[in-house]
Amino acid sequence: MVGAIDELITELARLPGIGRKTAQRLTFHLLQQPSDQVSRLAAALTGVVERVRPCGECGNLSEVEQCGICSDPTRDGALLCIVEEPSTVSVVEKATSFRGRYLVLGGRLSPIDGIGPEQLRMGLLRRRIEAGGLREVILATNPSLEGEATSTYIQQLLAGKGIRVTRLARGLPVGGDLEYVDGVTLSHALQARQEVS
Amino acid sequence: MRAERIAARGFRNLVDFDLTLPPAGAVFLGPNGHGKTNLLELLYYPVLFRSLRGAMDSEVTRFGDSGFQLELVVRTPDSRCVVGTTFIALGKRKQITVDGVPPERRIDAVGQWLAVAFLPTDLALVQGPATGRRQYLDRVLSLSSPTYLRTLARYRLALAQRNAALRRGEFRVATAFDGPLATHGAGLVRQRYEWVTRARGWFADECERIGEPNTSAADLTYRGKEELIDPERWPLILAECAGGDQQRRATSVGPHRDDLVLSLGGRSLREFGSTGQQRSAALALKLCELRALGERQTAPALLLDDAFAELDRGRQERFARRLHESGPRQIFVTTPRLDELPRPLELPIWSVRDGTITQAGEGVPS
Ligand SMILES: Nc1ncnc2c1ncn2[C@@H]1O[C@H](COP(=O)(O)OP(=O)(O)OP(=O)(O)O)[C@@H](O)[C@H]1O
Ligand SMILES: [Mg+2]
Ligand SMILES: [Zn+2]
Repeated sequence: MVGAIDELITELARLPGIGRKTAQRLTFHLLQQPSDQVSRLAAALTGVVERVRPCGECGNLSEVEQCGICSDPTRDGALLCIVEEPSTVSVVEKATSFRGRYLVLGGRLSPIDGIGPEQLRMGLLRRRIEAGGLREVILATNPSLEGEATSTYIQQLLAGKGIRVTRLARGLPVGGDLEYVDGVTLSHALQARQEVS
Repeated sequence: MRAERIAARGFRNLVDFDLTLPPAGAVFLGPNGHGKTNLLELLYYPVLFRSLRGAMDSEVTRFGDSGFQLELVVRTPDSRCVVGTTFIALGKRKQITVDGVPPERRIDAVGQWLAVAFLPTDLALVQGPATGRRQYLDRVLSLSSPTYLRTLARYRLALAQRNAALRRGEFRVATAFDGPLATHGAGLVRQRYEWVTRARGWFADECERIGEPNTSAADLTYRGKEELIDPERWPLILAECAGGDQQRRATSVGPHRDDLVLSLGGRSLREFGSTGQQRSAALALKLCELRALGERQTAPALLLDDAFAELDRGRQERFARRLHESGPRQIFVTTPRLDELPRPLELPIWSVRDGTITQAGEGVPS
């Protein structure tokens, strides 16, 4: 096979959820498209690589030094939501009315993969703490073993600093049936039950 | 429960095949090194979806092949199910299927096919280090309860993360994993204690039936920290071990350090048992596994790899009678010589030569 085609297949196959077969199909599909359309895709890819980088303050993806959220003066800077990935920021932004700021760690602690605090944006967090004025930190890491451990680690880091620390409640999916909820989720939901009257 | 059909490609030295198996089971007869144990290994594979000899998937793949594939049709009185595995050596990709569909998690496929394997290496359960006995407990409990298997997977992950952090010298990161370590570790310890409490009577009974003289005092005890049953006690215990853990760069307390002690008349069989007593104890322990799995499902199948070879005539016969009494079930036995098999085993004979399996005849000639 031609070198360039093979190269593209290999690169596409690296993407999550795309196997070699799909990569081949995508490649041959692209080759059948008008060349200006494919060029637009190539330009979009280059644009992303060249312009998008982590915001210097929160780690969220941004095309400028300081992202839109960090530079928005109506946002509550005393309220900080810590997440693992930029994708979580956009989910929270779309789905909730949260008006604080974020800190994107860029992953979670996973020593077996060689990811310790140094590999995450703990430096940005330290800077935020030292700058003062933090009232509450919301830990919104994923409910995986590593996500939980990351939150525990940060919680210990913040202990005794006079900052309120909260974690996302883990509980029942809305619209679900209790019968199908697994035991761990149910016991968390029971622990985090709320007063109704 | 019985295996109705088995098919395999690229597995060890076995020539690709697809065979219907006799309901009662079979004797696999053949010269040394021709593939008898490989065939049992294949039959056991869909129990835990790994090798019973602890080999890696790339090692059970036939030399020079790109992967292996197997399929087993399992019958119970009221169901039929097909379990399968496809392994591709390149990228070590493995797909498990139940009735052609990959289950959401691998552990959902466990429990469809149950068998107990008696191996020549079982003696190490009694004579060898604690690792073998912990593996025994983990296997038996995993196959008896899906909760245990899930808890075990989570505990192992938490432990691996904690130890990796200790190796990196990051103690505060290590302790961030203490929460899940305690929750899941406590679950394992509790279930192990409960199981041993139930199984000690079985163990004494089995030792007696195998007919070891003076085995009335045979016993099974769990050696660990009993307070670890309570997750609330873990923080203090982990804190006490903190210094040592940092120095050794590994977690020194938890179910991964515990042991199962087999004893006779109050004395450890590992240290003080005669080889004959140790052999009987190993058989008794495997018979406990058979009882445990029988509690949950229809009678699991039996895989006996050269299991009679090292036993004297008396033990051979008592063991064979015991298996016979344990109820009707499918039995697969390997042997290089028919005269090494005790009488009560009347099974069709299949020959295994150069990795090729063929039906040879009926019944064990006397
Ligand atoms: N991955 C593999 N691919 C091909 N052949 C293999 C592989 N692994 C082991 N073998 C071969 O399988 C043979 C051993 O088979 P097995 O252990 O089943 O013998 P056996 O019939 O049980 O012998 P014994 O009676 O001595 O126990 C050896 O010849 C070995 O080289
Ligand atoms: Mg063998
Ligand atoms: Zn920002």
